[in-house]
Amino acid sequence: MTTHQLNVNGRNHSVDVDADTPLLWVLRDTLGLTGTKFGCGQGVCGACTVHLGGKAVKACQTSLQEAAGHAITTVEGLSKDGSHPVQKAWLAEDVAQCGYCQPGMIMSAAALLHHKPHPTDYDIDAAFADHVCRCGTYPRVRSAVKRAAGGAK
Amino acid sequence: MTSRRDFLRVMGGTGTGLVLGLCLEPRVRAGEVAKTEFHPNVFLALRRDGTVRLTVPKTEMGQGVRTALPLVLAEEMDLDWARIEVVNAQPGPDFKSMQTGGSTSVSSTWLPLRRAGATAREMLKAAAAAQWKVGLEQCRTGNGFVLGPAGQKVGYGDLAEDAAKQPVPKDPPLKKAADYRLVGKPTLRFDGKAIVTGKAIFGLDVRRPGQRYAALLRCPVPGGQPRTWDAAKAMAVRGVQAVVQVPSGLAVVASSTWAAFKGRDALAATTSWDEGAAKDFSTAGLEARMRTALTGPAEEARKEGDPEQALEAASRRIEADYSFPYQAHATVEPMNAVVQLGSESAELWTGTQSPNHAQEQAAEALGFKPEQLKLNVALLGGGFGRRLGTDFSTEAAQVAKAAGGGPIQVVWDREDEFRHDLYHPATLHRLQAGLDAKGALSAWTHRVAGPAILRSWLSGQKSPAQASVETNGAADNPYAIPAMRVDFAEVEVPTPLGWWRGIEIVPNVFARECFLDEIAHAQGRDPLQVRLEFLGDRGLVKFGQDEADLRRLKKVLQVAAEKAGWGRKLPAGHGLGLACHAYDGRSYAAQVAEVSVVKGRLKVHKITCAVDCGPVVNPAGLQAQVEGGIVFGLSALFTQITWEKGRTVQTGYLDFPLLRLADTPVIETHVVVGSDTPTGIGEPPVPLPIPAVLNALFAATGKRIRTLPLLPESLA
Repeated sequence: MTTHQLNVNGRNHSVDVDADTPLLWVLRDTLGLTGTKFGCGQGVCGACTVHLGGKAVKACQTSLQEAAGHAITTVEGLSKDGSHPVQKAWLAEDVAQCGYCQPGMIMSAAALLHHKPHPTDYDIDAAFADHVCRCGTYPRVRSAVKRAAGGAK
Repeated sequence: MTSRRDFLRVMGGTGTGLVLGLCLEPRVRAGEVAKTEFHPNVFLALRRDGTVRLTVPKTEMGQGVRTALPLVLAEEMDLDWARIEVVNAQPGPDFKSMQTGGSTSVSSTWLPLRRAGATAREMLKAAAAAQWKVGLEQCRTGNGFVLGPAGQKVGYGDLAEDAAKQPVPKDPPLKKAADYRLVGKPTLRFDGKAIVTGKAIFGLDVRRPGQRYAALLRCPVPGGQPRTWDAAKAMAVRGVQAVVQVPSGLAVVASSTWAAFKGRDALAATTSWDEGAAKDFSTAGLEARMRTALTGPAEEARKEGDPEQALEAASRRIEADYSFPYQAHATVEPMNAVVQLGSESAELWTGTQSPNHAQEQAAEALGFKPEQLKLNVALLGGGFGRRLGTDFSTEAAQVAKAAGGGPIQVVWDREDEFRHDLYHPATLHRLQAGLDAKGALSAWTHRVAGPAILRSWLSGQKSPAQASVETNGAADNPYAIPAMRVDFAEVEVPTPLGWWRGIEIVPNVFARECFLDEIAHAQGRDPLQVRLEFLGDRGLVKFGQDEADLRRLKKVLQVAAEKAGWGRKLPAGHGLGLACHAYDGRSYAAQVAEVSVVKGRLKVHKITCAVDCGPVVNPAGLQAQVEGGIVFGLSALFTQITWEKGRTVQTGYLDFPLLRLADTPVIETHVVVGSDTPTGIGEPPVPLPIPAVLNALFAATGKRIRTLPLLPESLA
């Protein structure tokens, strides 16, 4: 095993895992941060979305080499108390159903709004192209993103 | 005819049925619990500080039971919503039938929960009345307090001890609907904050001290078994601790999920398989057998008059075949379970829709009695019927037993999900209709050919309910037709099958409602008018043991049509289509879809839905269920599981194009309340998007789609 230095939610961690371990499993199994979800392991469902240096990435497709040296933010680190505008909008729009895919959706929404404070519908479509919600919360996801952007609703 | 209700009993399997076997009546608990808490029944525990723990006897899988059921209790008990805690029930003597499915959670618990809440409320009032030396009838309750005639006010917590000593009222008065302050008002999801902060614990998030992880190497063909393998290759992977054989395959136990996956992949390269009975199964072969079954012998589910003679005598005959493919559940959270095995007992954590069966079967696998196994129901990252199956929790028990040691979490991956689902099976439908000289329906036949889900569920046994279950949505055809036959021709398959949100109603209503649209267009008539006319002026209509109130069905049809602007002038290239159904004769739904074809691709602009499921406990939850049901139904227009050489062709979301945000239409929900009893809303919206959209597509383009999935080439 090799020791890897990771900065997650503002804290430095030294983790001893094989170099090929995707960031997802380091977060979930090594660091106990289970808010980042395993959905497909193929990079196409978005459940494991985290921020790497402020950008939304899929933790199941992110190697430790890529992750090292960047600030990693998971849903647990988005705010101390659920007060991030996206989390508040998510609650106000009552988006979640089962809730499993929602941390990934929230992380994508936060990254989108960080880079595009006033996204168009097309921007929203594109930002969630790689997200699956089997419960079908999509209409509320769109409303929540708009609410967080200070737009309609 | 065996009804859908019987089917629900059958689903219970061991005789503890889903609906009638519920053991939810309030029971008084004596002893030490009562000294510190008021615990008048299995649902409620009031602490001295006034906080209340509510125990939910149904599984939360996104449908909102952890909000709706506590609302019902809190309403009757007059609780302060801000001071409640919600916990999941555990299977055992207090909760003997927790099975969650069939859109029955609210309807089956509505009265027991109200009685439980009312009992507690009356005992609190009695305690206060005794303190104040006033009559019980002089006391009222409100938001966690009992209020006396002279302005007295005491919090429930302060009454907990005294309330526990009060006699239990036999028939406590239930609140009138006009007095509700929680039920009927939109309430945000109870777990919302835990979800958005990543703190909600799903089965896969369970972490026990010393926990290990296991992945299964399974034969790509369901039912196949490993013949030879070399465990050394897996053991050479860092972190892998053991390779053990269980009935579903070879389990690789490791210190992390990733190590378990890597070990499994290393093992795969060394393994040869006996692929078993399903090894030659293919979609092409199944389709050929289903086609043969369209004209062979069948089991009758409904017969009225003489349909053959009526078809013969008809002025006009219309015939069409419809085809629906295999489907997967594709929950985003893969199957998983944690088992911690001790010498005399064990503990299991899993997301299950069948807690009692999961407990019984895992205990059996461990050589224990059910009471020796404590089962904790975690949140489910989607259920949709998949987690009615207990295969994954039993498997985890088998792995724990074979591997020994501390807690082990068995984790499925995405390919496991697609290759080893309990699938919704394909069906082929042949419909024939006869019209008389006036254009009225004189005859209707609907043959459903395909596998029987129920047989697979009952481990290969044929149930007398089979034909009725598999024709649900076809045999309860609500239209007035003097001569009708609906039957089921079974085509056996070697793959596992299971219950999928909307079950057989989805393909059966797709065929029925599209075919009705064909009849309308063949006559050059308006599909809405034709439906209203065929529904007629009938009220309560019996289908075997089930009955439906067709006035309620007509009403939702009219509301959906009106709100969607049926008959209005549409933008060029747009079309409207509609569909309706009386779900188990309990809940009524109608949908109107507006679609167009843009650059060869179907665009669903909007779906307008009207539903009547009786009084609504949580309107916010209802709206979410309608939106989710429509997205689920619409996805099935595009997805399919196909088989070659006993293997699914699809292994991930890339092969299974579920609806994504960009393709989700605007969804508008309208509620009609046509009775004073709540029924259910999880499944009723699901069967309608496909026929509504395909009927709209015909209106827009003149193309009639009868074979699913809808592929890009279908629109060319």
